[in-house]
Amino acid sequence: MTAYWNRLSVGSRAFLIVVPALLVVGAILTVGIALLLPPVLGFLGANLPLARFAAAATAIIVVTIPTAFVIIYMELKVIAAMNLRVGPDRVGPYGTLMSVVHGLKVLAKEDFTPRGVDVPIFTLAPVVVFASIPLTMLVIPFAPGIFGQDFNIALLYFFAISGLSVVGLMMAGWASFNKYSLLGALRAAAQAISYELPLTLSVVGIIILAGTMSLNSIVQLQAGSFLDWNIWKQPLGFVIFFIAATAEANRTPLDMTEADQELVAGFATEYSGMRFGFFFFAEYVNVFVVSALSAVLFFGGWNAPFDWPFPVTLNLDPGGMGLGLIFLIALAPVVGTIILGLPFWLLSSRVSTLRALVIGFVLFNLLIVGAFMGWAFISAAWVSGLVWMVLKTFVFVFIFVQMRGTLPRVRVDQLMSFAWKWLLPAALLNIFVTAIAVSILANR
Amino acid sequence: MTTPTRPSLDDPSLTIPLEHAGIFEPIPLARTERQREFYDLRDGEMLLNMGPQHPSTHGVLRVVLKISGEQVVDLDPVLGYLHRGVEKIAENSDFHQIISHLDPLEYVASLFCEWSPVMSFEKLLDIQVPRRAEYIRVLTGELNRIASHMLFIGWYALDLGGITPILWSFAERDEIVEMLAAITGAKLLFNYFRIGGVNGDLNHDFMSRLGDWMSRAGAQLEAGMGLLNENEIFVRRARGLGILDRETALRMCATGPNLRASGVPFDIRRAHPYSVYPELEFEIPTRREGDSLARYLLRMDEVRQSLRIIDQCLHQMPDGPVMARLPRLLRPRPGRAYSAVEGPRGQYSCYAMSDGTDQPFRLRIHDPSFLHLQLVGLLMPGNLIADTMAIMASLDPVMGGVDK
Repeated sequence: MTAYWNRLSVGSRAFLIVVPALLVVGAILTVGIALLLPPVLGFLGANLPLARFAAAATAIIVVTIPTAFVIIYMELKVIAAMNLRVGPDRVGPYGTLMSVVHGLKVLAKEDFTPRGVDVPIFTLAPVVVFASIPLTMLVIPFAPGIFGQDFNIALLYFFAISGLSVVGLMMAGWASFNKYSLLGALRAAAQAISYELPLTLSVVGIIILAGTMSLNSIVQLQAGSFLDWNIWKQPLGFVIFFIAATAEANRTPLDMTEADQELVAGFATEYSGMRFGFFFFAEYVNVFVVSALSAVLFFGGWNAPFDWPFPVTLNLDPGGMGLGLIFLIALAPVVGTIILGLPFWLLSSRVSTLRALVIGFVLFNLLIVGAFMGWAFISAAWVSGLVWMVLKTFVFVFIFVQMRGTLPRVRVDQLMSFAWKWLLPAALLNIFVTAIAVSILANR
Repeated sequence: MTTPTRPSLDDPSLTIPLEHAGIFEPIPLARTERQREFYDLRDGEMLLNMGPQHPSTHGVLRVVLKISGEQVVDLDPVLGYLHRGVEKIAENSDFHQIISHLDPLEYVASLFCEWSPVMSFEKLLDIQVPRRAEYIRVLTGELNRIASHMLFIGWYALDLGGITPILWSFAERDEIVEMLAAITGAKLLFNYFRIGGVNGDLNHDFMSRLGDWMSRAGAQLEAGMGLLNENEIFVRRARGLGILDRETALRMCATGPNLRASGVPFDIRRAHPYSVYPELEFEIPTRREGDSLARYLLRMDEVRQSLRIIDQCLHQMPDGPVMARLPRLLRPRPGRAYSAVEGPRGQYSCYAMSDGTDQPFRLRIHDPSFLHLQLVGLLMPGNLIADTMAIMASLDPVMGGVDK
């Protein structure tokens, strides 16, 4: 037996181990699913909100990190372009995998705990900061039907939960046993208290207009063309909201908490490894969340800015083709690959037949994916809504990134006086004017 | 009488056991009255150590700040991290060797570190420098002045939190540095001036780069610096910050742009003319405000004047040798010589004593950065932590020159 085994190649040995194991695992899984799936499905069907919450929470946590990756890459590239640099261009095509490598690096680094820190709080602080940000994403409506929860105090919930991250920053600053961290945390607390007020007051005008705090309803009330968006009714509110949101997201020019020329790295000075990574990702997810909220509140959320001027209705009925559908599915890839690859094969003698076929295959796939996406965009409301929402969100992300490349940092006392002397009175003025206008229009 | 002993770092009475440690202050033993006053903390005050590895102390400067909240009450700069004993090295090297040792004093404007010692040696040796060499010295010196000011502008913006201006100004600095590398062979420590002239004539590489750059430098500089000059946040932070009045500036021996920003039109190029500066037309920009913004804008004005000087140098450049005829071994007569030049940071001067050998008996280097660093203690108390670095950057000290 041993002699036979020793004569086998590595591949054969692996085959002989893996296949029986797969068979056993498959059998166990089949039986398990058959036994467990009906009760689980029955439970979820009986508690649909719970199922929805579980799905949304999973989706948000899965989506959070790639979003942060995209924004980090975008920041690296955009600021590089502003700085007359090339930016990352080594890892992946045009350096697109740079932020992924950043993430892996952060995971692989030593997670150092200095002497003298308050270990439980030091460990918990990044978790608190990071957890509060995806929680706020739960209430943001990304598309019709694509949102975690829609309840009537969604906006209030958003501000309440995003305020939680300050608790995490304070924990980090206090537990770090470092004066720079402490100063950064105290600045974070002062800044959060100062800017929560104008941030919350700036959206009261919208609440008055909409009559609800449900973000879904706010978006639905902005349906129509881009002239129906809230930005035209609340321009002052938007300006205040955007400035205060910059401070809330700790972005330049209002990034007092981690002013690296003054406080080294602020509250994150003593952190390394993945604990620092949590702060890092939380910052970028926060930028995304704040941008998404700007789009939802002031720029119509998932609503398209204009109706497509040529109404297209696609009434595809694949079943109507009968047997032809089978021929289409069987022949279309082959014919499409050959037709799309043929020009390359004909035009250049340097392109070999195989290479031409590969090019044709890739082009055919792109064509099919594009056609499918276009079909989905036209016929499914949630796809087009998601596209518009993500586009609008990334416009704001771009503005945040550009501000970081352009502006120096304001001083901490200027920051405070700006919030209390200008933003807060302006937000109150906005509320009064909106309320008076609404009451006059309602009584007319 | 007992002799005071230095405290040992291992002395257990000096360390605070960590289990009792809250946010604690490691109090060093006070050796002087000033230290006793500084380290005596009143209620609500704490010490904050900045540097030598802080991101924005220029070079390796350590500053201990006494802060009350965010406000700086007092501060104690700790120097010496870059000390090389260059004056002692100079006493043991011959006159040619000294030049290369003096280069790293002010590594961002090293031609000026060479210029004043070379001039004083020429006075000692009674050498007449060829006119072409003098013009080349002025030309390369003014280029180096622009490069140094570009570095200042970028760093100043960076210390106020703007990350883009430094790369924009480095684009200019890079072109100048490449130019100087074409003529001197080095990008940072040029080692180009010689006793009696310069090392090597202008070459084609240098001239083509210079002509290319000069044709667009003015517009390019103005366009690039619009990012800062028209930036509300930048101007609001810099205006009225660290005001240095005229009397204090004179009393504290400030020179260069820091003095001229306080309203004193003193420039060694005009007050005590040297080289071929009397033949050149340029203005001495002066500002009255004496704040950080004035110091920044004054350096911008100086860059414009330097461009004028370079233009004139190129037009008036005479033909001839670039090196005087010298004996191989330099043995000046016993005596003393002093010379001063106007560098990008102020007055660089050198006082050389010769005892008749081929090495100086004593060489004293005067560097403006050291005196400007003293101003930090006057300007900073009462400001916020955020402004400490802004004020220090606006005085533009280079630690290589401070520590010598």
